[in-house]
Amino acid sequence: MSDTAEIKHRIKSVGDTRQITKAMELISVAKMRKAIEKQAVNAAYFNSVRSTIKDIMRHSADIRHKYLMHRPNDRTAYIVIAGDKGMAGAFNHNVLSMAWEHMQAHPVHYVITVGQMARAFFESKHQAVDLEFTHAATNPTLHDARGITRDVLELYDRNLMDEVVVVFTRMHSMAVQKPEAVRLLPILEEDIPEEVRSTFTGEILYDPSPREVLNVLVPQYLVGMIYSVLIHSSASEHAARMLAMSSANKNADKMLEALNLEYNRSRQDAITTELLDLASGRSADGR
Amino acid sequence: MNKFYLEIITPEKVFFRGEAESVNIPSIGGACTIMAGHQPMVFATEPGTIRITADGVTRDAFMSDGFIEVRPDETIAFAEAVEWPEDIDERRAEEARERAEEMVRRNRSAAEYQLNRLALQRAFARLRVKHGGKR
Repeated sequence: MSDTAEIKHRIKSVGDTRQITKAMELISVAKMRKAIEKQAVNAAYFNSVRSTIKDIMRHSADIRHKYLMHRPNDRTAYIVIAGDKGMAGAFNHNVLSMAWEHMQAHPVHYVITVGQMARAFFESKHQAVDLEFTHAATNPTLHDARGITRDVLELYDRNLMDEVVVVFTRMHSMAVQKPEAVRLLPILEEDIPEEVRSTFTGEILYDPSPREVLNVLVPQYLVGMIYSVLIHSSASEHAARMLAMSSANKNADKMLEALNLEYNRSRQDAITTELLDLASGRSADGR
Repeated sequence: MNKFYLEIITPEKVFFRGEAESVNIPSIGGACTIMAGHQPMVFATEPGTIRITADGVTRDAFMSDGFIEVRPDETIAFAEAVEWPEDIDERRAEEARERAEEMVRRNRSAAEYQLNRLALQRAFARLRVKHGGKR
């Protein structure tokens, strides 16, 4: 009868796992909802800032600024945003392998990671990580975005790199999240897909001067951008985890069903064997 | 008075959206009032008080460093934080002020000084708005 006991044991362990995945799914649903709310508000800011920058660039062709000009070299810094935890389907893998592929095309680079999984990935690839932010992945705040912006701008200002690319997962919908690489610095007009809303022509004035305005505007823009990609990534992570967990649940249900069937069958088998034993014993006895 | 369309947004929320008569902003070049029909312009602002007049009511709010774009069709202000006096956490601002003062005293580089000065300015501006213009 050890067979029955073994199946029973397996049923229990699958049941326990199912409980965990169920709990994780529920948590992910709640967290994702929060992240999506944040993202909806942030999208307005994000789009407006981008179209404003584009607007400014279009109306003042002669602006020269270090943040708007591409330096002749090709040293690229990557900000790679992944999750702090696994158990989210292919979420981490997709964004990390895209970053890795992108990096192979650019010889010299800095690597800045957000999230434990990103750091672990580069460690396993023997790629040195120059800066890491481990706390910003799960619950991004403006403060985190400000910290990242400050460090990136410092590196850029010290002329240690010519280009900053962020690789993150964009949340398109509950079911679709795609990794994306976006150039943050220098800010080039062709990188901004948002359409400029206003149609007026003529020069814009700057107070106190174009340089000063851009000195304020660019960090603001970066903080907004980084905050927004962090939110996108965390919303994607939760969505991916939710999906992974719900399929794990379904899988567990299926396994439980099969196991229960097997359990009943083996129990029935045992009963039948016992009955047969009894019956044959009696028929041998009671002659 | 003529009105214009004003939008004030932060990464976390839309602070103001609607018709306004005038708005006074803490521009880096000095405080400045924008009214309907203003010339297209971009202002960089430092942490300070933004005074909004809409529907005949004038209110002050705190605005951190950001920028304001004036266009013929609308005026948009961007900042990391904009807060009405009632939303300002006085104790936090007070703590931030003390921290910033301490940091300003022992900053190591010009860039750090810049950051600390801005932090101090933010704290002062918050406290000023909270106390209705009086310190």
